[in-house]
Amino acid sequence: MTAYLVTILVIVAIATLVGLALNFQWGCAGLVNFGVAGFVALGAYATALLTPVVGWFAAMLAAAALSALLSVFLALLSIRLADDYLAIVTLGFGEAVRLVLLNEGWLTGGALGIAGIPRPFASLIAPEHADFALLGFAVALVGIVYIILEALVRSPFGRVLRALRDDPVVAASLAKPVLILRIKAFAVGGAVMGLAGAMHAFYMTYIDPSQFTAITTSYAFMAVIAGGRGSNTGLMIGAGTIMLLLEGTRFLKDLIPALDGAQIAALRLGGVGVGIVLLLLLRPQGLLREPQRKAASLLADPERADAADPSLPASHPQEI
Amino acid sequence: MIGQLLLNGTVSGLLLALPALAVSLTFGILKFPNFAVGGSLTLGAYAGWVFNTQLGFQIVGASLLAAATVALVSVLLDVAVFGRLREQGSIALMVASMGVSLILENLCRFGFGNATRSLDVDVARPLRWAGLRISHEQIVTAAAVLGCLVLLHLVLRTTPLGRAMRAVADNPTLAAARGIEREVIVRLTWAIIGLLTGLAGVLAAIDRAVEPLVGWSYQIPVFAAAILGGLGSPLGAVLGALAVGLSEELATLVVPTSYRQAVSFAVILLLLLVRSQGLLGARAVRK
Repeated sequence: MTAYLVTILVIVAIATLVGLALNFQWGCAGLVNFGVAGFVALGAYATALLTPVVGWFAAMLAAAALSALLSVFLALLSIRLADDYLAIVTLGFGEAVRLVLLNEGWLTGGALGIAGIPRPFASLIAPEHADFALLGFAVALVGIVYIILEALVRSPFGRVLRALRDDPVVAASLAKPVLILRIKAFAVGGAVMGLAGAMHAFYMTYIDPSQFTAITTSYAFMAVIAGGRGSNTGLMIGAGTIMLLLEGTRFLKDLIPALDGAQIAALRLGGVGVGIVLLLLLRPQGLLREPQRKAASLLADPERADAADPSLPASHPQEI
Repeated sequence: MIGQLLLNGTVSGLLLALPALAVSLTFGILKFPNFAVGGSLTLGAYAGWVFNTQLGFQIVGASLLAAATVALVSVLLDVAVFGRLREQGSIALMVASMGVSLILENLCRFGFGNATRSLDVDVARPLRWAGLRISHEQIVTAAAVLGCLVLLHLVLRTTPLGRAMRAVADNPTLAAARGIEREVIVRLTWAIIGLLTGLAGVLAAIDRAVEPLVGWSYQIPVFAAAILGGLGSPLGAVLGALAVGLSEELATLVVPTSYRQAVSFAVILLLLLVRSQGLLGARAVRK
């Protein structure tokens, strides 16, 4: 039971990383990414291939850098245009990654994937504590990413991003470098997806293309919508809840023996679809809205405004 | 050899034209890229399969019934989902359409499993003409699509509905001021979109097979075609579809066939690099 709990928690941690990344791209900057699974897969494969060569830490950095670079590339292509194009380009990118992973067997092992991925600190830890250690590692990684993203969201950079999301024309008229900011935001999200992929590879120790599918992407969207676009804390709660629900469906088979494997899979994926649509219809603002700063409090003197809104850092330049 | 590829590419391009038109119409009138097209194609394929093999309709009747089914489902989806999200803007609609696509695909998977099924179509020997092999299915597909295109062109150009649709696409506010009911036009647009994707779903099932991912595999080529034509331009969508179909076929000369699906992605990338408003579109760059 403990082992199962540890497993669930690691899966939740990985899902939370993916959700945090999408929440930065879509929730905070308004950039839709339908290729989430592709970026996570890139991170996982980069980690799997590089860890034996350069060690886990450098491999993770490389995974983040690779995902970030490709995010920059896709963003550069389409970001001058309306948001719809970025959505379409990322969707195509996700499919292209899948095809490359399947077809370039010399590098990726094709449909069989890569096995025997070494875990961080594997030599220092007794095998019976390996999963516990990995859980600690995952929680630490989520913590670090959360702190960094939260700081970014609250920084002037995050504020301008939200302004861009809500009204690009006004932001541009305030002489904000719209394109560069958006590309940066997309790259930050991409880097975190790469890290999530690295974590996935360490946890599974073997990876193949079938682990990175539409469910990865749709799940991330559902987590962001559930948590409230732009709220990292909400996302953690949303991601945890949904992952538990999804994992819970594994027991459906025991409850309703009449269901076969395809039907269980259909229930899970279709359920995510229903969840996305229902959440958009019923609670478009999510569980926790991002903190709304009232215009009046921004115009008041900073001390009083901070007292009125504890979510603001103590002293901040009036950027907006 | 090349002639055969051109023929195959033209026919598969024609097949793409119907869903690409659907995407283009959605974009023109509802102002969002409709990712539900994949799920709608799958639904069309399964509806065609049910009417054809389970209820014993001939393929033509089954196709029409499948198109009507998807049209009905599309209108219902607008009532239940898209209509209520219109105020939330295009991004919410886009994400919702992705969710809808998942729902439709998995309804089919839940009901009929992952097994690959095929339609009951008379097997005929392929015709030989000027050294080309022309299969029976290719003739059926080409005839059905061309008929559909002529019909749609007449509807858009000559009927009051078509005029109203173009008016709403151009300027909804002005159209409303002239007494055009936007909601009615939107529902009718969904019905047309459903008819197009439903029929295309059956054609896709004839071309490949009936399985849950049949629609998803068309998603990227369809969007490539719609973007190539400039989103929102019906004629552009048809030309874009032909271009994508031909490039997918001709690319098999230089890249392995396993990468066929990536060709349309490459087409999108190239296009965005070179000419971002599409071939016939005048999409304003927003930022």
